[in-house]
Amino acid sequence: MAQVVLQDVVKNYGALPVVHAINLDIAHGEFVVLVGPSGCGKSTTLRMIAGLEEISGGRVRIGDRVVNDLPPRDRNISMVFQNYALYPHMTVRENLGFSLYIAKRPKAEIERAVDQAAEILSLTPLLDRKPGQLSGGQRQRVAMGRAIVRHPDVFLFDEPLSNLDAKLRTQMRVEIKRLHQKVGTTIIYVTHDQIEAMTLADRIVIMRDGHIVQIGTPLEVFERPVNAFVATFIGSPPMNLLPATVRSGGLRLADGTVIPLPPGLTAREGQAVQFGVRADNIMPEGHSMPPTAHMALVEMPVTLTEPLGTETLLFATLAGTEVQAKMLNPRPVRTGEVLRFGIALDKCHLFDADTGASLRV
Amino acid sequence: MDVRRQHRLRRRLLTAAHFIGLFLAMSIICLPGLWVVLNSFRPTVEIMAKPPVWIPTELNLDHYRAMFGGIGEGGVPVLTYFWNSLVISLTSTVIALLVGMAGGYAFARYRIPGKSAIFVGLMVTRAVPGVALSLPLFILYGRLGIIDTHFGMILVYVALNVPFTIWLIDGFFRQVPKELAEAAEIDGCTRWQAFWKVEFPVARAGIASAGIFAFLTSWNEYALASQLTRSLNSKTMPVGLMDFTSQFTLNWGGMCALAVLMILPALVLTFLVQKHLIAGLTFGGVKG
Amino acid sequence: MYRMRLPPWLVLLMPAFVILLAVVAIPLVLSLYSSFTAFQLTRPETITRWIGTFNYEKAIGDANFWAAFGRTVLLLTVALNLEMLLGLGLALMVAKVTHGQRLLRTIMMFPMMFSPILVGFQFKFIFNDNVGLLNNALQSLGLTDVAIPWLVDGNLAFIAIVTAEVWTSTSVFAILILAGLFAIPQDPVEAARVDGCTPWQTFRYVTLPFLMPFIYIAMAIRSLDVARAYDIVQVMTAGGPARRTELLWTLIGRTGYVDARMGYANAMGYIAILLSIAFTVHFFRKLSSARTSLGMGD
Repeated sequence: MAQVVLQDVVKNYGALPVVHAINLDIAHGEFVVLVGPSGCGKSTTLRMIAGLEEISGGRVRIGDRVVNDLPPRDRNISMVFQNYALYPHMTVRENLGFSLYIAKRPKAEIERAVDQAAEILSLTPLLDRKPGQLSGGQRQRVAMGRAIVRHPDVFLFDEPLSNLDAKLRTQMRVEIKRLHQKVGTTIIYVTHDQIEAMTLADRIVIMRDGHIVQIGTPLEVFERPVNAFVATFIGSPPMNLLPATVRSGGLRLADGTVIPLPPGLTAREGQAVQFGVRADNIMPEGHSMPPTAHMALVEMPVTLTEPLGTETLLFATLAGTEVQAKMLNPRPVRTGEVLRFGIALDKCHLFDADTGASLRV
Repeated sequence: MDVRRQHRLRRRLLTAAHFIGLFLAMSIICLPGLWVVLNSFRPTVEIMAKPPVWIPTELNLDHYRAMFGGIGEGGVPVLTYFWNSLVISLTSTVIALLVGMAGGYAFARYRIPGKSAIFVGLMVTRAVPGVALSLPLFILYGRLGIIDTHFGMILVYVALNVPFTIWLIDGFFRQVPKELAEAAEIDGCTRWQAFWKVEFPVARAGIASAGIFAFLTSWNEYALASQLTRSLNSKTMPVGLMDFTSQFTLNWGGMCALAVLMILPALVLTFLVQKHLIAGLTFGGVKG
Repeated sequence: MYRMRLPPWLVLLMPAFVILLAVVAIPLVLSLYSSFTAFQLTRPETITRWIGTFNYEKAIGDANFWAAFGRTVLLLTVALNLEMLLGLGLALMVAKVTHGQRLLRTIMMFPMMFSPILVGFQFKFIFNDNVGLLNNALQSLGLTDVAIPWLVDGNLAFIAIVTAEVWTSTSVFAILILAGLFAIPQDPVEAARVDGCTPWQTFRYVTLPFLMPFIYIAMAIRSLDVARAYDIVQVMTAGGPARRTELLWTLIGRTGYVDARMGYANAMGYIAILLSIAFTVHFFRKLSSARTSLGMGD
């Protein structure tokens, strides 16, 4: 049983606070991803849980123990590092068995555990090689193997896929998810890549400047971002944001265009806002836009196209701002062509222009 | 095509100049050393011959025989000097390495307030000229009664080598990613275990070369040894070389034989570590 | 009982501090003290005779001292610059070689293994006016029929000493610069060539700036033991004949041990120490600024 609980956890470097009193409850067996731009404190948080970084304030509990003052070796965790941190002077077999060897377990037990881990990650033929003789993906698997050998309470992953090429990254992502299904151990995973976060996590924790901005399932954070930062950080391409003012039940854009106010939003008359809409919800007429009750129509000149095969990404200009739209079942579009786009208003967002907070109730 | 011919000609000239330049440079580097080796096998008459004898007519081991036999030429006790040099250099190297490992590790792994100032401060102690340092040391050692002892020389050479071993070892430990030790700690090691089981083995080759550098420095040092050693108790080989000189004469042949004895171990050791040595110096220096 | 907890880095550095304090710092304090006394080695009681800055005044008023001082600075300037240039040239030549480079690099390190005192004897032998290698060669080739007094004439002796010094230490520069040449990223060099730089311009504006940190490393290392030249000079000329090759270090040695005037020798020693330290600090600062300008610093 190992849930991980962070209570008002603070990290200061000298006088400089890098993590501000964060609270987080992670259930046993849960896969939680900490995501955010670089310098947001996600890695520091992970390293505090690991015991590699001293905790300046608050408490960290693993299972039913407060671990603040325990060294890493007594926390029963294991960690996969960004650059793998394989011991270069040991063979794969020795790397995998190192933690058990240090714990002075009997030889036979070590051998069994190593073989089992190697089996799970298909490392068996590589056991007698040194890390220097392995490819990036193989090293990555050894690092994971080293983590699972000791059956820890918690797995910590610190950007484990960022040194792999795109194809291998996708493949390893699937392997990590499969590994989690197989062993069922609690996983805390740090990444700056929102796609990794979306695909892997049970719950995503979005961090910025040492604060937790939002915690939620992938769909929650995608569909109901609490502010403009989350809205633009999660999802690809990033959500379009257009400055607007609330005027008599409608939204007035910078060039005077008025769009009806999307339903389910609270906005004061005269409030300066940002109107947010994803590319998936702006589509040219006649290209598979699902019919909805709330639809606004705008005409926009297309400035650039990115054909992706099943869809084409259209760059267009609305009220002086560049917006991205999607065209399903694409046809060739000329630059400069003016198209009529439908905006699905019930999928749209409104954020306060000053605070960035979502105005959805 | 005239231009093309000109280009080709120029390239050929450059290649030739490159080759000749290299050859000359390498000759200048090698010849003085080889001359010493050659003379150690030639009889004194031939070395001193006027007009000079360019092509040796006779090579023998007389100088070596004289040197090891302690006969003739004032009987220089070479074996004792060799033993003194060996004991002093080896012991001081081991101690300097241990001290340097602690210090180098500290520089490589910890945030130290005023780091670069402390680093330069340590280096500066090495820059103190041997002669200038030998004067006060001579007085101090005289009071403590450790002039002309192995202990005294070892102490000086440890101090002489520590700054440099710290520099080198700092460089080597920096090449060992910090995550290795962290991974080891998570795998259940104490900090101490993480060092000896992971970081030390990974940096081992580099540390060995730092050791050889320290050994060579002690092995070849003269300015301090010439003042702090007096007798067979502790005289080292560089000081022993002086035994071949007297007021007006110089036993070149005998000296060359001792020189060869001095160079041989240095040659072997340098050969073994050259690669790591360069890596350590440049890494520690460049990635301040 | 309250136990002081020192930061771990301080504990780790402590042995180094202690030993350097004992063997370098404390003796230096002692020598600073004795430089204000009339201490003579042969009369130990003189260590208590305080004479203020007399020794320093004497040194400053002593033409011999200033001659030695000037000669030392001249020797260092000439030798270090020559070593740097020759080392650079040697490194560039070796870097161009494709086959047998390892062998060349090993040969290059050859002089580093020689004890400076040995280098002194070796060159004393080579420059000997009667049976020396150089005069023998010149005479056999018929270039001259007189014995050139290499180590007797002041200027020639200076040249001989510089030669010996350069022979031992050029390889330090060559080896580090060679390491630098291999560490240079190829992209900027190729970019410069595509941008239309001549080979010389590429070297001057791309390669050389990248090499500077390595050159300064070599300078810094050399500055740590420039005084090893003492061994060479001591053997080759011992500052003679008639002080014509006297350097600060030989002057100090003679005054302290031969004339037994320790107080005076220590005063001059202090000036030599400050000179060395200035050298070292200068090059370390150059090194760190060269590093930051290339973005290699911490």
